[in-house]
Amino acid sequence: MKESGVMKLILRMAVTAAGLLAALPVFAHHSGAAVFDTTKKLELKGVVTKMEWTNPHAHFYLEVKDADGTVTSWNLELASPSILLRNGWKRDSLKAGDVVTVDGSPAKDNSKFGIAQSIVFADGHKLNFLSAYEDLK
Amino acid sequence: MMADGTPDLSGVWLGSGSNDADIANPRGLKAGDSVVMLPWAEQLVKTRQSKDDPESNCLPAGIPRGSPYPWRFAQTPGIYFIVYEGNIHSWRQIFMDGRKHPADMIPSWYGHSIGHWEGKTLVVDTVGFNDKFWFDYKGHPHTEQLHTVERYTRTDLGNMTIEVTITDPGAYAKPFTTVGRARIMAGQDLMEYICQEDNFDLGHISGPAKGPGGAQ
Repeated sequence: MKESGVMKLILRMAVTAAGLLAALPVFAHHSGAAVFDTTKKLELKGVVTKMEWTNPHAHFYLEVKDADGTVTSWNLELASPSILLRNGWKRDSLKAGDVVTVDGSPAKDNSKFGIAQSIVFADGHKLNFLSAYEDLK
Repeated sequence: MMADGTPDLSGVWLGSGSNDADIANPRGLKAGDSVVMLPWAEQLVKTRQSKDDPESNCLPAGIPRGSPYPWRFAQTPGIYFIVYEGNIHSWRQIFMDGRKHPADMIPSWYGHSIGHWEGKTLVVDTVGFNDKFWFDYKGHPHTEQLHTVERYTRTDLGNMTIEVTITDPGAYAKPFTTVGRARIMAGQDLMEYICQEDNFDLGHISGPAKGPGGAQ
């Protein structure tokens, strides 16, 4: 089936929103509620030590220093690389050395593991679990 | 339209033919249909644990369970392929050359699929399934008697309806038909999704099988 250039453009515009919305069932390969306690809030400030672009979930490690100087490394989960990349993330959007504040929810099993719902940088720009587009909730 | 006159299903599609949280959700069923399990199946669903979902263990979701990841039809003479980005990164083959299902098959995750066109609808008949995959996050089971008939109809450039009739006298009192749709993701390509490479969530899963949002 041949699509004209105009049709392609219209389709692209029309389905960008659909594509983002369709990415919303994010607990793609298991029930998120089976892992995380979404009734609890997590707020962590620290420095990223590693970004893992792996499946099924991209994730990153955040080193957090307590008031008393104790350093803890948290593993924080994101959507899959394919979903992130389709929604504006780039390879270097989040990388070792970035200083960020992460809001999310912790794992039910009390391990240093959580889901990162939003990531805010020192200059105010944001990423979230699904996308790099600030306005997408 | 393909060169041989059959409809063209090409494109990167997103969507599926059933509700992947709970296949019995009325919104994912043909009007008036219901899912009636045999007693052993009802009992099993109540006991299933989320960590045992094959899909969470990077194993195939079978038919008709979908995912939030796109897929493509590859239509070649005599054989079509559905190529899935995830979950998992795999494919099915649909024989279009008029063959029948073999008499003696080793049960498999995706079964043996033969297809034909009815007007603009691709009809895919599949048997030979194993009993291992779950129909949904909730854990609806099936047996090796499972027989599915999928109907794919491209209604316009960007939209496809998908209906799947499920017959499994080993687990369900009567056949039922799921309904769903797919939309085209214009300008997109499939990406890689190798589920097995870093499936660290598995060590943290607990609790009974239920839908992604937690609703049962």
